[in-house]
Amino acid sequence: MVNLTDELSIAIAELDGDKVMALVKERLQAGVKPLEIVKKLQDGMTRVGELFETGEFFLSELINCGEIMKGAMAELEPILAGGGQGYRGNIVIGTVKGDIHDLGKNIVVMLLKGTGYNVIDLGVDVAPERFIEAVKENNAPLLALSVLLTSCLDSMKEAVTKVKESGLDVKVLIGGPIIDDNFREYCGADFSSNIASEGVKIAEKVFA
Amino acid sequence: MADDKLKLYEERKKRFLAAMNLEKPDKVPVRLSLSEFVAKHAGYTLQEIYYDLEKNIDSINKLLTDFDLDAITGAPSLWWAGLHDAVGAKYLKFAGRELDPNTQFQYHEEAYMLPEDYDAFIENPTEWILNTFLPRLHEELSEPGSYRANLSLIKGAAGMAMQQGMNKKAWATWAAEYGGVPAFTAMSKAPFDTLADTLRGLTGIMLDLYQRPEKVKAALEVLIPHNIFYGMATSGGEMEFPLFMPLHRGSFPFLNPKQWAEFYWPSLKQVIEAFWSKGKRTLFFAEGNWTPYLESIAELPEKSIVFHVDMTDMAQAKKILGGRFCLSGNVPNMMLAYGKPEEVRDYVKRLIDEYAGDGGFIIDAAAVIQGDAREENIRAIIETAREYGVY
Ligand code: B12
Repeated sequence: MVNLTDELSIAIAELDGDKVMALVKERLQAGVKPLEIVKKLQDGMTRVGELFETGEFFLSELINCGEIMKGAMAELEPILAGGGQGYRGNIVIGTVKGDIHDLGKNIVVMLLKGTGYNVIDLGVDVAPERFIEAVKENNAPLLALSVLLTSCLDSMKEAVTKVKESGLDVKVLIGGPIIDDNFREYCGADFSSNIASEGVKIAEKVFA
Repeated sequence: MADDKLKLYEERKKRFLAAMNLEKPDKVPVRLSLSEFVAKHAGYTLQEIYYDLEKNIDSINKLLTDFDLDAITGAPSLWWAGLHDAVGAKYLKFAGRELDPNTQFQYHEEAYMLPEDYDAFIENPTEWILNTFLPRLHEELSEPGSYRANLSLIKGAAGMAMQQGMNKKAWATWAAEYGGVPAFTAMSKAPFDTLADTLRGLTGIMLDLYQRPEKVKAALEVLIPHNIFYGMATSGGEMEFPLFMPLHRGSFPFLNPKQWAEFYWPSLKQVIEAFWSKGKRTLFFAEGNWTPYLESIAELPEKSIVFHVDMTDMAQAKKILGGRFCLSGNVPNMMLAYGKPEEVRDYVKRLIDEYAGDGGFIIDAAAVIQGDAREENIRAIIETAREYGVY
């Protein structure tokens, strides 16, 4: 588990939204580089992800943290101008066609963003073609798919198959509560998990 | 009612009620939560069952002809899409309109109620719903008082009455001609779910818990009598069969234990106890994993619920709730869709061996059974329960 020493990282891990905003503004005024501030926020988020995994934090804490992060990023993003810089890489993500469940996927997005990736979130009910386009456009080395409905597992398989057939050089990670190794094989995906933070670990591997 | 069908109806009903009363019936009853599977089996597309009430209803005739079930959950589509079109519902998308003909309907979740709406909602929920909420959710109602809005209110109300009338007739036919017994005859929700699902949406409610907890509590107070009334109204006075309560946001890991005890449970408990005091049992359809909350659920009056197991730890549920409430469910939907009949058979046998021994148990899938379930697996559940589940 990460050991937090910075006040801002601790504030976000303690879900103290007011303090986070105050510290972000204070540091910007003091001339701290925006990217450095983002890094501290990310450390705090990583901690929150770990607490969720160990069962100390629940969805309510996670969502609250995500909103605090959003608020802080709204302050920082305009100054981070030019985008792109400082990102560890592009990841395309979405819930497969026919399925509109997105709470789990949103957590994965939050954690990936929190660890410094540029996440292109296509939302829910995403057709295979849109995944392919987005991977191409963003030159993304990793595509992550989420599914909850057992009736949409074939839709997941179709997405993986089409992406693989497109010949793009992209690794595919599939996730959701009902996903296991058997199903990864069935779909022909590269990685699978039913834990959000595993997604981050898999990304680390892909981007290593 | 033909004599043989009447006999069948009574036999199934007796079996089903006995299990819910924690008695030993002749056999372990089979109640399957079938939805889209029913349409597929009858050869209808989803667009057909969403838009054509007769096909929606007819698909159950086919189901009852082909499968021996002790209780059924009703027509596969809860919605009549035509009715939603008549009022221009923005929160639902249907096959054939926004979606391909054979895709599942979609719910578009948003915070349709805003933080600043709390006071008006608490003051007079019905007035706020009619004047503010419905116009936000429905294209045709967007200008209250306009002729379009008035017309759509009439169309909406007429449509609702038609749908209910046809459903009522359908239930009478299913009973008389097929011996079909209802799994439930009313519906309601946990007050927190009403607020969290359709009103504030998940992100909205989660922030409210931190930013305006008092408003949340006041809104829940208002919803308690509303949800009790709704349940009793939808029961139409029928008291033998349970009331269906699909429970969403009280599962693990939505709320932390403190929030669960403070916001989710007290209002839900009151609603369930009110039903029970009137003699109406609740089908506690615990979607997802409820293991951490079993001790609290055990506080409910004996037999007042049927506890349905989706991803809750079955052994724990039996240990903590067994002998107090009837249990149901737990056959994995993944297995029904991707497994083999032998696996299903073994699973059902194990459920019967470990959990059905002293009565108070109903066979069902863990979650709602959609179009992906294979017919041979559905047959395997029923056959195993019939052969192996004899007391
Ligand atoms: C909330 C919910 C809804 C909400 C969705 C809101 C939203 N914005 O997402 C609403 C009410 C709209 C809804 C609708 C429906 N739902 Co629903 N829903 C649920 C519920 C209660 C919770 C799901 C959830 O969000 N869990 C919390 C999140 C955080 O967990 P998670 O998704 O598992 O994600 C975690 C991991 O899986 C992982 N993960 C997830 N994705 C990914 C991706 C990657 C890459 C990685 C690495 C990890 C990962 O990380 C997360 C954190 O660890 C479940 C039951 C339950 N309690 O599980 C039913 C459930 C999933 N729904 C179900 C059904 C049937 C439906 C409907 C069809 C309803 C109907 N017939 O009336 C519609 C579907 C419409 C459609 N076309 O999709 C069934 C599915 C049954 C089946 N056979 O598959 C369930 C299981 C309920 C049940 N027991 O019957 N639902």
